[in-house]
Amino acid sequence: MKKLLTVLLVALLLTGSLFAAGSKESGAQAGPVTLRVSWWGGDARHNATLKAMEAYTAQNPNVKLEGEYGGWDGYYQKIVTQIAGGTAPDIIQIDQPWLAELASKGDVFAVIDNTMVDLSQFDAKFLEDYCTYNGKLMGLPTGTNVNTFIVDTKLLSDFGIDPNTVWTWENMISEGRKINQKDKSAYFSGATPDIMRFWFEVYIAQLAGAVVDNNKRVAFTEAQGTEAFTYLKRWFDEGIVAPFSQTSLFYQKFQENPTWINGKMATSWDWVSSMDKDIGARKSFETRQYPVMANAVNTGVLMRPSQIFVVNNNSKNKAEAIKLLNYLFTDPVAIEKLGTERGIPSTVIGRSVLAEKGMISQMAEKATNEGIAQAGDPQSVYQMNSEVIQTMQDVIDEFGFGKLTPAQASAKMIKSLEATLASL
Amino acid sequence: MKIKKNYSYSGYLYILPWILGFLLLQLVPLVNSFWYSFTNFQLLGKAQFLGLDNYKKIFLSDAVFRQSLKVTFYYVLIAVPLKIAFALVIAIILNQNIKGINLFRTLYYIPSILGGSVAISVLWKYLFMNQGVVNNIIGRFGIGAIDWLGDPRLALGTVSLVTIWQFGSSMLLFLAGLKQIPVSLYEAAKIDGAGRMRTFWSITLPELSPIVLFNLIMQMVQAFQEFNGPYIITQGGPLKSTYLLPLYIYDEAFKKFNMGYASAIAWVLFTIITVLTLVAFWSSKKWVYYAGDKRN
Repeated sequence: MKKLLTVLLVALLLTGSLFAAGSKESGAQAGPVTLRVSWWGGDARHNATLKAMEAYTAQNPNVKLEGEYGGWDGYYQKIVTQIAGGTAPDIIQIDQPWLAELASKGDVFAVIDNTMVDLSQFDAKFLEDYCTYNGKLMGLPTGTNVNTFIVDTKLLSDFGIDPNTVWTWENMISEGRKINQKDKSAYFSGATPDIMRFWFEVYIAQLAGAVVDNNKRVAFTEAQGTEAFTYLKRWFDEGIVAPFSQTSLFYQKFQENPTWINGKMATSWDWVSSMDKDIGARKSFETRQYPVMANAVNTGVLMRPSQIFVVNNNSKNKAEAIKLLNYLFTDPVAIEKLGTERGIPSTVIGRSVLAEKGMISQMAEKATNEGIAQAGDPQSVYQMNSEVIQTMQDVIDEFGFGKLTPAQASAKMIKSLEATLASL
Repeated sequence: MKIKKNYSYSGYLYILPWILGFLLLQLVPLVNSFWYSFTNFQLLGKAQFLGLDNYKKIFLSDAVFRQSLKVTFYYVLIAVPLKIAFALVIAIILNQNIKGINLFRTLYYIPSILGGSVAISVLWKYLFMNQGVVNNIIGRFGIGAIDWLGDPRLALGTVSLVTIWQFGSSMLLFLAGLKQIPVSLYEAAKIDGAGRMRTFWSITLPELSPIVLFNLIMQMVQAFQEFNGPYIITQGGPLKSTYLLPLYIYDEAFKKFNMGYASAIAWVLFTIITVLTLVAFWSSKKWVYYAGDKRN
């Protein structure tokens, strides 16, 4: 038995020393540098990014770049697990709400300053509002992303609705209901339960400024909540939106709903950065501005970086990683190769290079300009917190399935949000 | 004496890979998760010891856990008996001497090879969604579209069908068991004038009871840990009606990164499965018949 133990221990020690040797080796690299870059996206973004990376390695033969890319599903989980396990890539593309969520858990991201990257290329307020945590710049915004309201102009006119309608909360119902009245399987809005949550957030923003404010407090009253839910209930009652029993299967992917794909839903809340993917093979889409009620406190129209590139604070090659970022953001060759795959660039040089080459699509440019013109206050980090979002979603689901009246939904929303906020 | 020692030594050497794998990949995580279940481990940052707080929260104030536990039990109660019954019926049919029986046996086993894979779950979603194949077919008979996966009352049943459909491995065990039953018993029953049903209840089922026990335990353990189907098809919805405990554990662990709390739920689930397995074993004295036993 003793012998067995010795053998086991020796074996364990051996495997342990193997791991140790492996990590030591990668730390000792001096000349050639390997940088891992991770992002999510579709094929077009993958190809564009890989091409830009190739251009960089052509100029910097000592640097080897490895792309780690895939779809959106599970990306966040993968990144957090990698950060926790100390195996995260050197450069990471993150979604804006994650910045605060992850930075609050420790020094996960490297701090970036003017000596490393020419920050004058970026809008200072944009950097401060969206890429800064505790006064430190943690990442660089890839592009400007805004909410837009996409409408299928042909579908609207087919149902006798003026495609150039300027939308108000009221005419979304009075005009929008014409679609379902004529065709029971068609709807004005393609909203799934998660998109209904966005509409709720827009409506509350206009009524009360925000769902959750910067002081970690629920910012709307029960009466205001009831008003919002009463309005949204009319969407269900008047056939503006399909029942949740038909759309809940497409949570977070309304664009996969066959009713949407087959052109039986006319409009959607959307981000400019994902509208091309959402519109897919459908034709005749245009973008519109959001309805804004008289005396709105805040438009609820969101503007934020499409994504943010951060540098892993544990990276062995932080300086090299930031150098690569600088290249991707400011070099004309890289800008051209990346195109608008991450939205309209957030750098001055990025926009001018792409405009010169005619690479910004008119639709994206119009949507972005109109969105920026309409954009309201940024949401608080608490409202963007994933647990707060889940709490809102749970109540919206119950409401949408008809389990709660507008008044009950409002009361429950406030109570659940308070409980969640207290636990953060 | 010396020879014996050498033998045991080389024996251990042979199983060393397994022992190492077990220690590093199973025992260490197991002990870790047990420890985490008493902490607020968040994946990033340091863990604080909380004592029994996680467990108190699970049993006293967590409404989501209660909903999830309820759904999990419903799921097991629907999926396991139906799957076993289905496997048994098909096994009896496939035990006949029909031409080309091997082809049928293979065909019926195919779903189990495909398993609870992602592709099957995606397929299931497209079969049963509002404009899916199933609604298309029943629509031809004048039945209106049913929200198989969108209606909170139906979704769990629909998701269970994926599991039930994979009855192949249970069926194979039953088939092997059926082959073991001595023909003389059936002949004796026939002479005594027993009908088909009587033969089934008095000979086939008791003779198969050890396999029923085995299938029951294996399928129950598996069903309590079901994840792929509901995660891919319904994501636990609508209204958390398919939100099985493994999904809740996953969400707590990998969406909210409450590793400590997720570990505690996992240990509660583990305890439930262990207790129910013991109950099954204990009760088996009353209903499982082993060859050579005498029945009262």
